[in-house]
Amino acid sequence: MGDKNYEFIEHTADIGIRVKGKDSEDLFKNAALAMFDIIAEKKDKARSESRQRKIEVRQEAGSLEELLVNWLNELLSLSAAEELIFFNFQSLQLKNNKLKVEVIGRGFVDYIIKTEIKAATYCGLKLEQVYSGWQAEIIFDV
Amino acid sequence: MSGEQQVKVEKIDDYRWRIPKESKPGMKVDGLIYTTEKMLKDVQRDKALEQVANVAFLPGIVNYSLAMPDIHWGYGFPIGGVAATDPAQGGVISPGGVGFDINCGVRLLKTALFYDDVKDKIKELVYALFSDVPSGLGSKGDIKVGTREEKEILVKGAGWAVKRGYGIDEDLECTEEYGAISGAEPSAVSERAYERGKAQSGTLGSGNHFLEIQVIDQLYDRDICDEFGLDLGQVTVMIHSGSRGLGYQICDDYTRSMVHCLQKYNIHVPDRQLACAPISSAEGKAYLSAMKCAANYAWANRQCLMHLTRGVFERVLGIPWQKMGMFLIYDVAHNIAKLEKYLVAGEERLLCVHRKGATRAFGPGHPALPQRYRKTGQPVIIPGDMGRNSYLLVGTQRAMDETFGSTCHGAGRLKSRTEASRSIDTNVLLKELESKGIMVKASGRGTIAEEAPQAYKDVNEVVEVVHNAGISKRVCRMRPLGVIKG
Repeated sequence: MGDKNYEFIEHTADIGIRVKGKDSEDLFKNAALAMFDIIAEKKDKARSESRQRKIEVRQEAGSLEELLVNWLNELLSLSAAEELIFFNFQSLQLKNNKLKVEVIGRGFVDYIIKTEIKAATYCGLKLEQVYSGWQAEIIFDV
Repeated sequence: MSGEQQVKVEKIDDYRWRIPKESKPGMKVDGLIYTTEKMLKDVQRDKALEQVANVAFLPGIVNYSLAMPDIHWGYGFPIGGVAATDPAQGGVISPGGVGFDINCGVRLLKTALFYDDVKDKIKELVYALFSDVPSGLGSKGDIKVGTREEKEILVKGAGWAVKRGYGIDEDLECTEEYGAISGAEPSAVSERAYERGKAQSGTLGSGNHFLEIQVIDQLYDRDICDEFGLDLGQVTVMIHSGSRGLGYQICDDYTRSMVHCLQKYNIHVPDRQLACAPISSAEGKAYLSAMKCAANYAWANRQCLMHLTRGVFERVLGIPWQKMGMFLIYDVAHNIAKLEKYLVAGEERLLCVHRKGATRAFGPGHPALPQRYRKTGQPVIIPGDMGRNSYLLVGTQRAMDETFGSTCHGAGRLKSRTEASRSIDTNVLLKELESKGIMVKASGRGTIAEEAPQAYKDVNEVVEVVHNAGISKRVCRMRPLGVIKG
């Protein structure tokens, strides 16, 4: 992923990350990119073996924090069910705790799988506006 | 994380520590932690004790929010956490008290083989197990099932696998709940959960899941070893796996819906991962029915894994598994919630016992145990890390009196995965293990460093606590010979 837009925060049993974005849309996108960066690494090949697939994802929740966790868990669930690693998130719209986005993924065959993430948790979840934009801390159960 | 821990802890005796309910406004009962002064220092480095205090907020919680000596920081409940709630007193059920990997658990097989019979075959066995037992993320099993059959697995659990020829009736007798907990309702499971579980029957999974060839290196209770047919130098096999994607999805689905129950039922908990609903509510009942489906799926899964293991031993050693005496000692769940009866202040009550990284440890005479274990108490299987030991224990009456029939479940993590990966050289570690006579094969190289012995507490110390506190009793100890990691 080149320059990483996230960093690890220490957690005894699981994986915690701090991720940033210039606005809330950017933060949601970067959180998803960070999660799949932890899960898988693209194989070093010029061409992908699998065809890319585009899926529309819609989520809504009672709060923005809840929406962030639901969004990441929806992606994990879709990834496992469809056997895809998502790497591109287009036309992301975020308003009134509702999210609509087109997610693009490639098959597992194009990746080296590094870590299984079972879920994103609410535990220790932080989502806040900071000087440079938005920032979140998320703990994943691995 | 040092310095963050503010929770007050008082010593009761050498193995019991109390968090008084006054230490955090909202706690309904005290916290009770089984540990030593030395181990407590490590626990105080992160937020595990705060999580023990948070669990004490749950409506209807009875006696204590408990933690076993393998306690470490989790989400919602700490890992090693046990809590019983009373449905008759507005008691709740929380998916965060079970975890994402519902019925993650472990089973132990004995064999009639001794170390000398297998010492030259370990490498071959490890490679054959690695190739025949699907492991790693997204791994798919050779055991294929259709949607209708998958529903049957969710209801019949390990019994489904035995009916298919993947084992014998005796295996079911030697499994907690006889391999299938009643009340599983497939209609409470979402389509997505089916999707995630479909291809994974008979797969080991990744992370801390493993399959291990071991040898018994110490006996603690000769009479019980005789009763179980175990002796020094005898080879055993341990299998650690869970409900895979099916369980993760069920936990996610119901945590989402129960976050809304907090407001609906006016429940105040300090962590949303403790989202819960009254056991008697529609939401509580639906979660319990779905959780049971995942529990049964996990028992079917471990039964399939054992079947594959027996097949590998047959192929490599050229002897039928029955002749090699590859019989199941017992299979226990580590992540589960169950309705069980206990005496509370002299009165029998039906309670919902959450065990999140804890093992059921029923004492002698318990009616839920098969005849063969009525006299000894329930076998309790405690896996350690890949470089140290694992243990077989039995449950005690004291566990029934103090811990809702519960004990520890493993070593418990000490170092984070990132810290372990940073500080441990996989090649050096593999050489070290090899020099100790332990062969390791993993689907991902990263897993080996993350799961290194240094990343875990010493299981010997953990087991010493539960033994000395009297909530279970040591029977024998095993050391690893060959390890297959997911």
